[in-house]
Amino acid sequence: MPATESIKQITNPIKKILTSEVGFLVLSLLALIIGISSFSEQFLSAPNAVAILHQSSLVLIVAIGMTVLLISGEVDISVGANLAFSSCVVMAVINQTDSIALGALAGIAFGTSVGFINAFVTTVLKVNSLIGTIAMMMMLKGGVFLFTREAIQNHHQLPLFPKIATGFVLGIPVPALIASIVAIIGWVIMTRTKAGRLFLATGANQKATRLSGYSPERVKFAAFLLTGALTGLAAVILASLINAGQPTAGGGFELIVIAAVLLGGTSLMGGRGTILGTIFGVLILKIVDNGIILLRLNQDYQIIFPGIVLILALYMDQKRRGTTND
Amino acid sequence: MTELNIADPTNTSVPVLSVSGLTKKFPGVLALDDVSIEVRSGEVLAIIGENGAGKSTLIKMLAGVYKPDGGTIAINGEVQNYASPADALKAGTKVVFQEIALIPEFTVAENIFLESHLITRIGTIDWPEIRRRARDIFERAGFALDPDAKVGDLSISQQQLVEISRALAHDAKLVIMDEPTSSLTPLEVRHLFEVIERLKSLGIAIIYVSHKLEEIFEISDRCTILRDGKWISTQPTSSHTNDSLIKDMVGRSIDDLFPRSERKFGDTVVQVDGLYTHNRLDNISFNVRAGEVLGFFGLMGAGRTELAKAIVGYDPISAGSIKINGNLLSPHSTIKSKSLGLGLLSEDRKEEGLMMDANVTRNMTLSALQKFTRGGFVNAAAETKTAQSFVDRFRIKLAKLGQPIRTLSGGNQQKVLLSRWLMYGLEVIVLDEPTRGIDVGAKTEIFALIDELASQGLAVILMTSEMPELLGLSDRICVLAEGKITATFETSNVTQEEILDAAIQ
Repeated sequence: MPATESIKQITNPIKKILTSEVGFLVLSLLALIIGISSFSEQFLSAPNAVAILHQSSLVLIVAIGMTVLLISGEVDISVGANLAFSSCVVMAVINQTDSIALGALAGIAFGTSVGFINAFVTTVLKVNSLIGTIAMMMMLKGGVFLFTREAIQNHHQLPLFPKIATGFVLGIPVPALIASIVAIIGWVIMTRTKAGRLFLATGANQKATRLSGYSPERVKFAAFLLTGALTGLAAVILASLINAGQPTAGGGFELIVIAAVLLGGTSLMGGRGTILGTIFGVLILKIVDNGIILLRLNQDYQIIFPGIVLILALYMDQKRRGTTND
Repeated sequence: MTELNIADPTNTSVPVLSVSGLTKKFPGVLALDDVSIEVRSGEVLAIIGENGAGKSTLIKMLAGVYKPDGGTIAINGEVQNYASPADALKAGTKVVFQEIALIPEFTVAENIFLESHLITRIGTIDWPEIRRRARDIFERAGFALDPDAKVGDLSISQQQLVEISRALAHDAKLVIMDEPTSSLTPLEVRHLFEVIERLKSLGIAIIYVSHKLEEIFEISDRCTILRDGKWISTQPTSSHTNDSLIKDMVGRSIDDLFPRSERKFGDTVVQVDGLYTHNRLDNISFNVRAGEVLGFFGLMGAGRTELAKAIVGYDPISAGSIKINGNLLSPHSTIKSKSLGLGLLSEDRKEEGLMMDANVTRNMTLSALQKFTRGGFVNAAAETKTAQSFVDRFRIKLAKLGQPIRTLSGGNQQKVLLSRWLMYGLEVIVLDEPTRGIDVGAKTEIFALIDELASQGLAVILMTSEMPELLGLSDRICVLAEGKITATFETSNVTQEEILDAAIQ
């Protein structure tokens, strides 16, 4: 069987691109860009590109953490609620201290501590992370309203703060720059470091990883902390973007993040996935989002579409792997 | 009972079963290659061979589970063309599989007539008749069974009798038994053999599949040996010796199978004292010296795997101590045991060893990653170079290091997993069933490798349920039964019987 398969791959380059994970994503992205731009002139304009990058940045930052977490064999459903709560913390601390730096640090610290609790619940209390982080989501969604009933405004009207999200460095939007740095670091970790290997190994075979003299719990702990910290970082950008802390923000955010990661070829079962795939997954979903707006389609499609894409992506994944697996 | 009426070779009557040129292909393997056998009425034909020799493929074709790719199966001279197991049963072939396929909630009588419920004139099931016929069968075959007992309440041995009764109820001409004694006590094995004698006297032809040689000698009239899907020989069992059987099975003599270099024992490396675990191990103590292979033998459920996992810190212990070169394994974790130079090669490659989708290099370097890591970064070039050197040294067959490990054969996968620890560099290696599911050729290489490791001064703890492997590799043997060490022997002066006796108590 492997022999015939390799023959097929050599004789059929199109199939090879379709069956290679990143190749398929690149093709889909190109098809989307060509398709949408042929219906809308605005699509390829500079302001629209900036808008897409802005939109993608928040999702990508968290998706990098989620990729590492899913590869380790766990999941975090609480990132949306964490994002909203952390953004309120950022704004509240800035209002208290008059310091953007302290506000940003507080937001990242808050996001990280949510990750810490998720890690504790999963690796020490041995609660399934799907359930544990849904519970965390519920606590955060309720808790944020104990913290603030309504959006926290920028009381001091610090003009510098909104600039984080809307500013440019070297012609690149700041959030996109931050997301790129996060993605590059994530890529280096996953492809070049021992830590990356252990994330992959833990997700691929937890028992084998333990027998090889490592602690899968510690590995997962790190992945949860990373996801929480990156959610905190995204919250700083979100607060800057709307120049406020919004307790109702982040609804459905976790679904978009997970959809993008899975679309990028990361396995829900762990052990398999790439940062590159996640970048493409995020771009595809966000370009589709953008297209729906530009083509003046009903905006409810923005959440319907990722659902359809997700099923298609997982179906393709099944097919691709089904040929080699059993 | 050991005096057997060898089937008369001049007997010209039509054999009950006659198989000719039977062939079965699976993707990538020829599972059975041009095999021909005959079984006559009242005869027991043993079929033996190593794992992967083609025994179960042959049986599944005789049972109508697989369709042959070539050759014919004839019952009483009539060529059969089974579309399903039901056809095989109709033609008179009944297979008693290792895992018994009865419905536990039904009664004995109900199970016997499962396929052919007898119906009264008004269309209901004729229970009195079914019970009567079941009793008839028991009387004929000499079984002490209650037709109204629930099958779920019976022992495995009694359930086997129910299966055999089913064969009789269907007027089976051929009964095939697949490893029938694997979960029986010695007394139950006696009973089974009496049943087989009775079936012979009823003129039924029997195929007996087992890898327990002593049983073959006791119960079979002739024996057919398969190896790598091919027919090797069919001879009267009495013309065989233990050695000639093994030689035909593995294709070389036992001495070549287990090379043994001069081993020099050093200081005591492993010291286990009074080890208990929650549910199984009971006061286990032993020592292993450098360069020594200590074999642990035990039947299913004796506690071999439990011991292996407890020693390396994978499973928790409730009392006792494990010392490596005098250093206590504490905290009880695999991280600590690895740092002391102690590692386990698991019996379950797929579940506890391999990262199936990852490539060969990634799988091989998992334990030794630190060796290629500087400041957190892995030096991929050095990693690949080292992996390649192990591939060469152990002659691991692969196309390229980047191929997924799942595409390798079991033997090559096992060599990769062994390399995982050797690359790290251990003082003590625990091997749990190291040759399970591996073909004969690769087995020999792994045996040679284990011998080489010991001669280089590694302390080896070998868990095995295979007697030849135990005797061929170990310097000393500990026998486990129900979580306790029941005996310790020097391999040079122990017999298989002594070991089995200790394992059964």
